[in-house]
Amino acid sequence: MRRSKSSSRPQFAGPGVTDANGPGVTDANGPGVTDANGPGVTDANGPGGAAGGRRRPRSVILPYLLVLPTLIFVAMFTIWPTISSLLGSFFLQRLNIAKYREPTFAGFANYATLFHDPTFYQVLGNTAFYVLGSVPVSIALGFLFALLINRRMRGIGLARLALFHPTVLPMVSVATVWLFLLTPDYGLFNSALSFIGYRGAQNWTGNPDLALLAIIFVAIWKNAGYYMIFYLAGLQSLPREVFEAARLDGAGALTTTRKITLPLLRRTSLFVTTIAFIGAFQSVDHVFVLTSGGPSNASNILLYYLWQVRFENLNVGVASALTIVLIALLLMFTVSNFLISERKGNLDG
Amino acid sequence: MRKLVSLALSFAFVISAAGLFANGQTESPAASGPISIQVFYPVAVDAPIAQILNGYVSEFEKANPNITVKPVFSGGYNDVKTAIQTTIQGGGKPPALAVMLATDLYDLINAGYIEPLDPYLAKLPNRDSYLGDFYSSFMDNSRYNNKIWSLPFQRSAVVMYYNKDLFKQSGLSAPNSWASLAEDAQKLTVRNGNDVSRWGILWSTVGLPYWLFQPLAIGAGKNVVGSSDTEVYFNTPECIAAIKFYNSLSQKCKATPSGAQDTWGASPGDLASGRAAMIVHSTGSLAGILKQAKFDVGVMAVPGEKPNTYASVPGGGNLYILKNAPQDQKDAAFKFMQFLTEPDRVADFSIKTGYIAARKSAYETPAMKDYIAKVPQAAETRDALQYAGKELSLQNLAKVRNIFQDYLQQAFNGKLSPEEAMQKAQSEADASLKEFK
Repeated sequence: MRRSKSSSRPQFAGPGVTDANGPGVTDANGPGVTDANGPGVTDANGPGGAAGGRRRPRSVILPYLLVLPTLIFVAMFTIWPTISSLLGSFFLQRLNIAKYREPTFAGFANYATLFHDPTFYQVLGNTAFYVLGSVPVSIALGFLFALLINRRMRGIGLARLALFHPTVLPMVSVATVWLFLLTPDYGLFNSALSFIGYRGAQNWTGNPDLALLAIIFVAIWKNAGYYMIFYLAGLQSLPREVFEAARLDGAGALTTTRKITLPLLRRTSLFVTTIAFIGAFQSVDHVFVLTSGGPSNASNILLYYLWQVRFENLNVGVASALTIVLIALLLMFTVSNFLISERKGNLDG
Repeated sequence: MRKLVSLALSFAFVISAAGLFANGQTESPAASGPISIQVFYPVAVDAPIAQILNGYVSEFEKANPNITVKPVFSGGYNDVKTAIQTTIQGGGKPPALAVMLATDLYDLINAGYIEPLDPYLAKLPNRDSYLGDFYSSFMDNSRYNNKIWSLPFQRSAVVMYYNKDLFKQSGLSAPNSWASLAEDAQKLTVRNGNDVSRWGILWSTVGLPYWLFQPLAIGAGKNVVGSSDTEVYFNTPECIAAIKFYNSLSQKCKATPSGAQDTWGASPGDLASGRAAMIVHSTGSLAGILKQAKFDVGVMAVPGEKPNTYASVPGGGNLYILKNAPQDQKDAAFKFMQFLTEPDRVADFSIKTGYIAARKSAYETPAMKDYIAKVPQAAETRDALQYAGKELSLQNLAKVRNIFQDYLQQAFNGKLSPEEAMQKAQSEADASLKEFK
């Protein structure tokens, strides 16, 4: 009974894996995560176990039927929009000019417009800075938090709550709260900074040199707790014997973390870095609230720019081209992240 | 058995999902009988808008039993516009009525989303007196190609709020020119060592910089936009002088923090708590300021460059009828529009929200007269309107506005000289307007 159940699992693992990568690439990290756990888990345990228990010949269509609802949603909300953006990127369509209201074929004109637009390069640079500035720090913090709270002690529930609560808040409320914390002179953030001796500029959301940093800071504050949860789950599933053995061999905490914990959590790290990078490319809410991409585009990042081009400038063609650029960047990153960590995995083991 | 159940479940899921999407197309209102209209409405303002509008809706439905009005409240102006765009682009039916920014006029016409109100207005017996009753600086945003495309509804303007008690204590009178504004601001700034405990003036230049800046350009003698829908005046000596004046408030007078300032959200509170002696802000903040301030609050138009000149600029949202809605819904929508713009209701809306009443006759209603007797500032916001120039509104608005704001902030932040910044803003804006001429 048990054997047959577990042997049927790889068959059903297929859809689970595609779910995690498929929508995760283009959708927000929310749906990506629920897809990975929700349907994947039920597919593997529920019907698979039942079919195995009866020892009847398994239906060939059933797995596909079960994936069908997900497939329909993926096709409708991921594949179709991607194709339609790709097509749209080759057509000139600007809703605020009557003669360009209906799409006309324009070849690579939209891409040419984009690649001749200095703001686009500024936005790309900002995005790279934002992603590289926020992702590694929030993952490292998430890991650190997980190590800190993965123990039994008094008040640990409170500590976990404190570290996790920013994740539960909607980004818009987080940004609104931070807007007040960042107020010059008496904002809590600035008061704290001046208490520890900071005497620099306080105008975080209005200063072109600080605005992007403010956006990054808020993103880290919001996301670290989220990644912490994954690491905490990972940590708690690690075998204890290994750590006991390490302790008997006299390995220090640092060595244990570096040589044992981190390598064992490789899969978790792969998952977390993937969703973190994708999430960073997709973050936009706090930009709306905190800086509107300003001043002078200093904190304008790819998705906000895309929104501006599509819904403010009403340039559908260039917005589609931008979407394709965004998708290409995300695909490139996801695939290379996967390949790199797979190779590392082989070297290690 | 369980397999069967799961199969059935998955089918049910697929079918219900398909049904969900088919649903959007099955709605087809009957030609006669009860009419139901949707009104898209932004709520991200400093007043209980949803509650107020729901009250009007139930009053209207009582008077017009065959019409049902469904208000759809969503975020800010941008969210309403985005929702309508996506509905229309996706092939759906737009709401019959929506409140959108007055300045979005050109984009909405070009995209083919809205239709002129002239056919509806022509049926009114009192068309001319009805239209003439709206303040002309608000109506300016409704006219294009000799047609009227919208009616003013929740309208505001840029004004200067000042702490009258502080002025009195320091023996100062309200400023009437740039020079006296700078002098007062300097005198009212209080420093304790390196820390400033009170700024003379706070003037936000992040968020909506073009809007709060426009009174400076108008006050210098030339607005950044004129009657043409494809021309801007960014590199004029007046506009450059306006930037220099703004910069001098921080650099020379030390009366405001230097560089572009993001004080939009905080400055009403700063004025009320005494951390600023003057702020330049929207009339929309009046109610909030009056609620918090423990001193006599003064409201006036922004002083201009020359003595006894003033400037302001209107803002806010208008009522639009959406072209692709069914005709019976559009007729009902116009009826609701008329209902909302009746003087008593305009007065009531203004009293409850702090927006400027868009019609002159609203100020003659007993309710408004009583209110002004209690809150004289409500009349002061309206009085600022007589100095108002046109709000930046023209073809390709978002693009031109972003160009202007980017260079404006570079000039405030000292990244470029005002002359250089405005030269670049002008040439980029001209280039982006070429296709619209």
